[in-house]
Amino acid sequence: MSREIKLMLNGNQIFVAIEDNWTLLYLLREKLGLTGVKEGCGQGECGACTVIVDGLAVNSCIYFAVEVDGKDVLTIEGLAAADGTLHPLQKSFVENGGIQCGFCTPGMILSAKALLDENPQATEADIKQALAGNLCRCTGYVQIVESVEAVVDKSSEDINVVVRETGESG
Amino acid sequence: MQTVLYVTDDQERKGNKEIMEEFTVIGKRISKVDAVDKATGRALYIQDFKLPGMLYGKILYSKYPHARIIRVNTEKAKALPGVITVLTGEDIPPVRLGVYKDNPPLKAGKVRSYRDEVAAVAATDLETAREAINLIEVTYEAVPAIFDPEEALKPEAPLVHENHKTNLLKMPWNLHYGDVEAAKIEAAFNVEERFSTTWVTHCCMGTSGAIADFDHADNLTVYTNTQIPSLAQKDFQETLKVLGFKDKRVRVIKPCIGGGFGSKLDTYAYEHVAILLAWRSRRPVKIVFEREEEFCATSPRQPTVTYISMGCDKEGKLLYRDMSMVLDNGAYTSWGATTPSVMMMPITSLYRVPNVRYNAKCVYTNNTYSQAMRGYGNPQATFAIESAMDMLAEAAGIDRVEFRRINSNQPGDVTPQGLKITTCGLPECIEAVSRDLEFGRPREKGVGVGLASLIHVGGGARIYKSDGCGTIIKMDDYGKVDVFTGASDMGQGADTIIAQIVAEELGVKVEDVHVFHQDTDICPWDVGAHASRTTFVAGNSALGAARKIRHRLLNMASETTGIDEDKLTLKNRAFFADGKQVLPIGKLLRGSHFKPRGEMMMADNFYDPPNENMGRDFSGNMSATYSFGTHGVRVKVDEATGKVEILDYIAAHDVGRAINPMLLDGQVHGGVLMGVGYALTEQVILENGRNMNPDFRDYKILTAMDAIHSKAVVIETVDEQGPFGAKGIGEPGCVPTAPAIANAIYDAIGVRIKDLPITPEKVLAAIKKKNGAVSCGIDAFTQKEQPCE
Amino acid sequence: MKKFKYLIPKTLDEAVSLHQSHGGSAMYVAGGTDVIVKITSGKLAPDYLISLKHIDGQSQLELNTETGVFCIGGLVTHRTLEMSSVIRLQYPIIHDAVQRIGSTQIRNVATIGGNLVNAVPSADGAIPLIALDARLNIYGSTGERSVDLIHFFQGPGQTVLDRGEIVTKIIVPKQSKRTGAAYQKFGRRAAMELPLIGVGVLIILEEGSNRCAKARIALGVAAPTPIRTLSAERYLVGREITEDTLNEAGKLAAEESRVRDSVRGLAWYRREMVAVLVQRMGMKCLQRIKESEGR
Repeated sequence: MSREIKLMLNGNQIFVAIEDNWTLLYLLREKLGLTGVKEGCGQGECGACTVIVDGLAVNSCIYFAVEVDGKDVLTIEGLAAADGTLHPLQKSFVENGGIQCGFCTPGMILSAKALLDENPQATEADIKQALAGNLCRCTGYVQIVESVEAVVDKSSEDINVVVRETGESG
Repeated sequence: MQTVLYVTDDQERKGNKEIMEEFTVIGKRISKVDAVDKATGRALYIQDFKLPGMLYGKILYSKYPHARIIRVNTEKAKALPGVITVLTGEDIPPVRLGVYKDNPPLKAGKVRSYRDEVAAVAATDLETAREAINLIEVTYEAVPAIFDPEEALKPEAPLVHENHKTNLLKMPWNLHYGDVEAAKIEAAFNVEERFSTTWVTHCCMGTSGAIADFDHADNLTVYTNTQIPSLAQKDFQETLKVLGFKDKRVRVIKPCIGGGFGSKLDTYAYEHVAILLAWRSRRPVKIVFEREEEFCATSPRQPTVTYISMGCDKEGKLLYRDMSMVLDNGAYTSWGATTPSVMMMPITSLYRVPNVRYNAKCVYTNNTYSQAMRGYGNPQATFAIESAMDMLAEAAGIDRVEFRRINSNQPGDVTPQGLKITTCGLPECIEAVSRDLEFGRPREKGVGVGLASLIHVGGGARIYKSDGCGTIIKMDDYGKVDVFTGASDMGQGADTIIAQIVAEELGVKVEDVHVFHQDTDICPWDVGAHASRTTFVAGNSALGAARKIRHRLLNMASETTGIDEDKLTLKNRAFFADGKQVLPIGKLLRGSHFKPRGEMMMADNFYDPPNENMGRDFSGNMSATYSFGTHGVRVKVDEATGKVEILDYIAAHDVGRAINPMLLDGQVHGGVLMGVGYALTEQVILENGRNMNPDFRDYKILTAMDAIHSKAVVIETVDEQGPFGAKGIGEPGCVPTAPAIANAIYDAIGVRIKDLPITPEKVLAAIKKKNGAVSCGIDAFTQKEQPCE
Repeated sequence: MKKFKYLIPKTLDEAVSLHQSHGGSAMYVAGGTDVIVKITSGKLAPDYLISLKHIDGQSQLELNTETGVFCIGGLVTHRTLEMSSVIRLQYPIIHDAVQRIGSTQIRNVATIGGNLVNAVPSADGAIPLIALDARLNIYGSTGERSVDLIHFFQGPGQTVLDRGEIVTKIIVPKQSKRTGAAYQKFGRRAAMELPLIGVGVLIILEEGSNRCAKARIALGVAAPTPIRTLSAERYLVGREITEDTLNEAGKLAAEESRVRDSVRGLAWYRREMVAVLVQRMGMKCLQRIKESEGR
């Protein structure tokens, strides 16, 4: 069955006609041309297709397209600022060796973003737990975890600054 | 993670001249040149390419491990709307693939493994192609199959290839240097053992795929994931010839590759099937593997059974090493069958050992066929060697670290195989591991340490007549540099390393250099990204081309400025004399273009390293230099469950020079975790030839939560032959991991596991056996005894 | 992927009547993480998928502070369970299990109801709930009924659900004082694993002693369905909980398990792990009781 759904995609509201049996991955890659969303397994076991739906990281390969009706979807294409400035996580992955073949990178960065949005002061254990569903065969994860940690440090400093400015404690 | 730079004694003696040299780009932690594209989702992989009018191809695989094909009925598939072409083995001319040319892209008459390609479909969309494949009816007649390579050698074993008369491949891997028998008598201590390794697979995150496209004049373009663009071009050219196309062009375009690790060292049936479907349909055809196909229909690292004996004298000096192996080749022959050529290197040359014998048999079976994978046989050989080294040290009553010190390779050695060891940081690697891992630390229950070393080709490897790589460099009006290299980047950072080398030599910034490596129409020839050769060979090739440019630039600048060439320096995008900028490069180049009888700034260079093909007795200096390394690991073994936990891991590598320490660390950490998977969790489970775990749920590559804190220690020996002193490092990281872990487990709990992977089951069964148990109980369901082995 | 219609009812009754009107060609779907994979691979071929995701009142956690009854909506995601402070503090055995199910991405979408209804032998969401004596509320065309979770499973992929019935709630009864419970999934990797074996233990101690008042030992992957090992439980009741008694209970549980060989692990090893983990989880129960009393 065809139907029209409405969603916020990378900050823009769009209306798109879909079939009920489409996955979100299929909609994004094949119909909307967002090839930064990668398909690594099609079974929810590798995380390459990770996107963020209403703030939560999900595997788009096992998510019905119809279920994003009325929701907010972020793909890697929408992560950098409109003027092209990289998101701090993108910049950190670039600068800290978090990227080799790059196939897992979009999903990896989005999983990390979902984590840091929820928990800006994530520990190394939190990071590993959040990225456990994003497989990488190149890096051994060491520089990936470092790439995320580098951003954590910065954002926790920011939080400290905010706390000081507003005079809150604890 | 930490990188520690050590300078070898040798360097200190030379006064550290090279090390002290001021580099602006070399030795710096520079971001990969393609990283921003990859971080923003802009990088294009084979999955992301779409051509106008493109069809989607799917392949039908065999339902039997060994069977005659009686009939293939494609009528229903052909009748399905949207299906354009259906091909079977009967519909195609005799194209043959692989090292032995024993593998047709679509099989006719007989299938020899579950992954055998029986038919293929091209349709207007993927769904239809999938549906059509299921409509093809194949009638098989099963014939006896053979899955165990040792069994396959027996005279009564069924033949995988009848015409071949035997299951033993006619590749006589035999060498004997010195006199092993005499040395056995002479030796004060001997060990003898059997080791085995299993099927493991590359697990590239981007699956395999290709698009084939003919133009109106029958010239062929293939977009494909390959580590060997020039050799793939040759393979595809041969297929064209069989199709009756002569004098046609073949262009290979390489998208971004989602991981290589050796999996893309050959061309495969799916690439040729895409060509055949495109040829028949006259439209571009794309085949991209699904994950299950990637597991079942790509070629894993081959399993080995190894018998090793080794002996030393009273002082602990190795006297001999005697090894024989049986390798499961699978049903067809790719580069997996040639890995003994590389295994020979550690067997003859890891540590000083005067008498060596080695024999390897590659055997056809009805399993999937094997291929090279990171290390090219070295991990299998080193597992046996380094496990046996610990056993021999124990037999001789010598400390394991000391035993390795006694036998370490040294600069200037020529090994029995004729390998010329020039720079050699192995002694420093052993010291670094022994110091950082604190081997002497007091013992805790269930905790143990282990180490293992490696030798690998670090200066190319002469497998073909040529080990060469071409580079073309041109500069534009603004001092920007285009480098056209034969090298292949597959994520390891070849393009970045080449950009750094060229930028350093030409005094420009890395961002001024654009490296093209994706297209055989544009890029020069190269034998491929294998043998950890790219930094060394392609790096030297690029360096040579850059030197030509540099020379001409200086020459022209001297003419323009009237300053002597040797008073000019080239840095920061300009020429300097007496510390002052005298002329920007861009200005000089514009001047050279905009003048009568102008000239353009372009140079080419073909670099073929000074290494040798192996002779009839397999001796010869196969690489221009060798990489060394030692890994040390501390493990904790849970004696109730048999689970092994890695507490500390040190990987010390002699890399010649770290051109980019950040990328170097990445190669080491990635190699180490792949090695840990090889040691502990990874196995392609084949049951009578059928892949039982073709997904990431049951094929256990390690996750971020399993990641270990590995520490990379870099030993710089600055090799005279290497570009800025560098040697290859792509493969070494995963070579000594498994034996280091096995040795640590032995140290921890006194049981030696000789078969990979070292699963908790094997460890627990070994503990039980050591404690006197013979049986691990009767299984309630199968009523079978579970022996403690 | 095969074509189907995706129906989005807003109430339970609407869902049930849609299921009735479409007969055998319809099936319910919640998070869909398993259903999509099964449809893609051709293992399932429904004409209608009836989504339960948009039915109100099915995705809450409610702890009734008066009765002590804890109620988990069938559509609660694993992620919600993982992040719930009530679960972390009062039902840590549930937290033990859910934080290791799939990946964050899966847990964000997959529901506990879906996990139970799937009834795969390796689904480890059920084991802690069985140890907690949970019951399920089931809704269908004939109204609501309730069933003990331990009696819910009938075989691999088979449950007592009648056609068109929906699991609406998981009811966890009030926990006695001095209750400790713990679960461990035993796998080969630290994440992304289906369990080789899953062991959940619950122990209630008598007031003022270490004597066991009640014990639950629930196992996953030890049989075609989740099981309780009654002889091991009976053995513990009335005995002091020590390493030794737990060791003995572990042995009894191992004997009672009906493990088998598979690609994921060998029977003898699974049996050994039952014994080891029953003991370890038992000790963890003691530790948790101690910690809760120290608070």
